[in-house]
Amino acid sequence: MPNTLSASPASRGTPSVTDRLLTWLPTPVFQVLHGTGSTLLLLGRTLRHVPSLPRQFGRFIEQCHLIGYTTMPIVGILSFFIGSVLALQSGHAGENVGYKQFIGALVGLTMARELGPVMAAVLLAGRVGSAIAAELASMKVYQEVDALETMNIPPERMLVLPRLAAVLTMMPVLTIMADLVGWFGGAIVSKYTHFISIEPASYFANLRQYMDFSDVLNGLIKAEVFGVTVVLVCCNIGLNTRGGPREIGASVTRAVVTSLILILVLDFFVTKALM
Amino acid sequence: MTNNPQQTARVGLFFLLGMALIWVTFETLSGGKLWFKDKGYQLVAGFDSLKELKAGDDVRMAGVKIGDVALTRLAGRRAEAVLRIDSDKRIKADATATIVTQGLIGTGYVSIDLGTDAAPFLPAGGEIRTAATADLNSVMAQLGDLGRKLEGALGGLGTSLNGDSRQPGLLQKVDTILTENRENLSRTTANLQQITDKVNRGEGTLGRLLNDSRLHDELLAGVTELKQGATQARSFLANAEELVAEVKRGRGTLGALVYDQKAADDLKASLASLREVSEQLAQGRGTLGQLLKDDSLVRETRALLKKADRAIDNLDDTGPITAVGVVANGLF
Amino acid sequence: MPAANSTSPLPGAAPAVGVTVESLSKRFGTFEVLRGVSFAVQPGEIFVLMGPSGSGKSVLLKHLVGLESPSAGQTTVAGLDASDPTTRERVRMALVFQAGALFNSLSVYDNLALYPREHRLGDEAAIRDRVMRALQILSLENAAHKFPAELSGGMKKRVAIARALVMEPQLLLYDEPTSELDPVMSATITEIIATLRQRYQVTSIVVSHDRDLALAIADRIGILMGGELIFLGPSADLRNPTDPRVADFLNPRIDLEHPRFKHLET
Ligand SMILES: Nc1ncnc2c1ncn2[C@@H]1O[C@H](COP(=O)(O)OP(=O)(O)OP(=O)(O)O)[C@@H](O)[C@H]1O
Ligand SMILES: [Mg+2]
Repeated sequence: MPNTLSASPASRGTPSVTDRLLTWLPTPVFQVLHGTGSTLLLLGRTLRHVPSLPRQFGRFIEQCHLIGYTTMPIVGILSFFIGSVLALQSGHAGENVGYKQFIGALVGLTMARELGPVMAAVLLAGRVGSAIAAELASMKVYQEVDALETMNIPPERMLVLPRLAAVLTMMPVLTIMADLVGWFGGAIVSKYTHFISIEPASYFANLRQYMDFSDVLNGLIKAEVFGVTVVLVCCNIGLNTRGGPREIGASVTRAVVTSLILILVLDFFVTKALM
Repeated sequence: MTNNPQQTARVGLFFLLGMALIWVTFETLSGGKLWFKDKGYQLVAGFDSLKELKAGDDVRMAGVKIGDVALTRLAGRRAEAVLRIDSDKRIKADATATIVTQGLIGTGYVSIDLGTDAAPFLPAGGEIRTAATADLNSVMAQLGDLGRKLEGALGGLGTSLNGDSRQPGLLQKVDTILTENRENLSRTTANLQQITDKVNRGEGTLGRLLNDSRLHDELLAGVTELKQGATQARSFLANAEELVAEVKRGRGTLGALVYDQKAADDLKASLASLREVSEQLAQGRGTLGQLLKDDSLVRETRALLKKADRAIDNLDDTGPITAVGVVANGLF
Repeated sequence: MPAANSTSPLPGAAPAVGVTVESLSKRFGTFEVLRGVSFAVQPGEIFVLMGPSGSGKSVLLKHLVGLESPSAGQTTVAGLDASDPTTRERVRMALVFQAGALFNSLSVYDNLALYPREHRLGDEAAIRDRVMRALQILSLENAAHKFPAELSGGMKKRVAIARALVMEPQLLLYDEPTSELDPVMSATITEIIATLRQRYQVTSIVVSHDRDLALAIADRIGILMGGELIFLGPSADLRNPTDPRVADFLNPRIDLEHPRFKHLET
């Protein structure tokens, strides 16, 4: 697609100074700006429909089921192994340095502040984000979105709002599960690995000594930011799909890749902001 | 579009479970307090050495966490720890802060005792009284040292007093010396008596240490040494008293004794050091004194043993039940 | 047409609306689909739009419901700018998409019930009544709980029409409603369009290649070719067209000697 604003109605008439400036930008930069802007506008349009959320309760539950309940097993499995590997690696590295007593705190803090929310968000992007992008892209390509619009049913209200509300509700749940499962993974590995051999009791005592609920909360806030971002980005990319069935696949890829990049980029800034 | 009721129920269950877990984590990690760190107020505690203490370590009063170490710094010839105390926890001006080393790996905390009721509260930014505490290693070293010293002193005394064929004039000046030191001697005797009584009754650290069969061998050995010393001291003092009484009654062979300056000096020095030791013990100064006065060493040692015990217990039950049990008992 | 008699889904309370198209032009990139198309449809009129494939009929319909915005010119519905999204909130418009555009994740019943539910037009019982009547009209009662993927092409088209009827629109746009239907069902659709106008003054714009339908019910007919309206007038005028392009379009001669068939020969 050429670097023009032909897609938007704003390009009608004489282009403004800003629009002409934007045309001169390198295409990737333009696309980043375009993506950011359209995602934020989608958020704005969606938030206008918040009062109608009670009427979307059925869809909200359906999305909660998809985002939360059906995503839980994979989050559990993944974070169990993440916690285990964390314990294993730090136990291995710490053997000679003498900090293996701190494995509890290390795994606890890392899971709660970083890997719990990030892994939950990554899985959300891979599992739910792709599904959202695919569903909305196909609805767009097969004119279902157009049909909604002619029926005066805003797609934001029916398609985006329930997902956004569901992700806000379910992300803390997924994240706390990722945290706890990861902690237990670390505890089990710490006990049964011969060069670590730390009792779960002292593992958790150490974890408790160095952790505060604020660490967990910090992670939960991060997870919410990631979750909202993933859902918005995937909805936006799905709803902006143009063309035929082939573009559905392209949209899904783009949605997932964009989500993953954004998770890690936002991770840095949110972490810094919460410090 | 209607939802399958099972789906709704699952979502509800899942959500409630998640919230419950968050709540439990909150209770476990923060004890139900708000997550925002209480700014609290600060106190300064000066020590000769902060040992393993570092910023972030707990400050506890009677074992309850009331704050943490905000920072550690060097101030002139001493080390200072700035303590952040929760704003709802007030500390009496006569409370004493000590550094407690917890476990062998050296995680420490600052322990503050309750102080007395009468004392005023410390103001924010004030300086808290501190006391140095012994850690286990230096106690061991000093205990052995002390035992040897005591033995040496008593041995020397015995030789001086009993004399041998080459030094027949030893007791010529005993009368004078004993008269000069009479007061000291009786104080020493009283102190030692008190100490040994306490030890026998199982009071104080030393007593408890003796009564605790599971204690570290080294510690036990040290204490045994000490006890021997004390017994020797008692018998020596009994002898000395008898002697004094005999001299008083005008009996014995004092006149025949040859004056021996060296032996007299030895005796004097021995008595002086014995007095010093007993006084220090009584006042609770020095390592041994602290041992007698202060329970913290015993508590520390006990805690170590308990931890080891628990570890051994945990080794016994294995399997998936353990994980749950550990959560129930250990974490939550 | 018994079903549409007493129990029509359309109470017809809302007034009929007119449509205007003024020098409408639409470009996709450099490709100009519509070039200055102008016409007006009176309230309650049945307007049939014909034209060869790819001439821009569907694009024109999308302009009327605001799914496309003009490159130049203007379209209005009931005097309101059709490209303004708020127009949909004031005028009930329904578009029967050429491809149906059914909601694939919803059953036929839910496809039809979506509009009344989202706009809270009565309780579930009332909605059920309304949906079942629309399904009856199009002989779809037995398909109510099927999903779009389980339907034939003609059934999808009928569901799309039924979904439009449930909306009780003031302006109904059909994009080739009969193209996939058998002659009996085509006749039924033709009757529906006529009945709706007759009873409820519903304005209809029908894009169709079906000459019989056009001649039977159209008040006026427009023929779109090459992005321009080459014919606009009452259906009677079509019987003896003056424009050779119109004549060729309506009565194509099958000329197997035409040069474009050359490459079929081996
Ligand atoms: N979104 C779009 N982007 C680019 N070109 C388009 C778009 N939509 C339609 N066109 C082009 O506009 C032209 C008219 O398309 P339209 O769908 O209106 O044809 P039609 O008259 O409905 O044909 P048919 O009778 O086959 O349905 C076609 O050449 C098509 O390629
Ligand atoms: Mg078409």
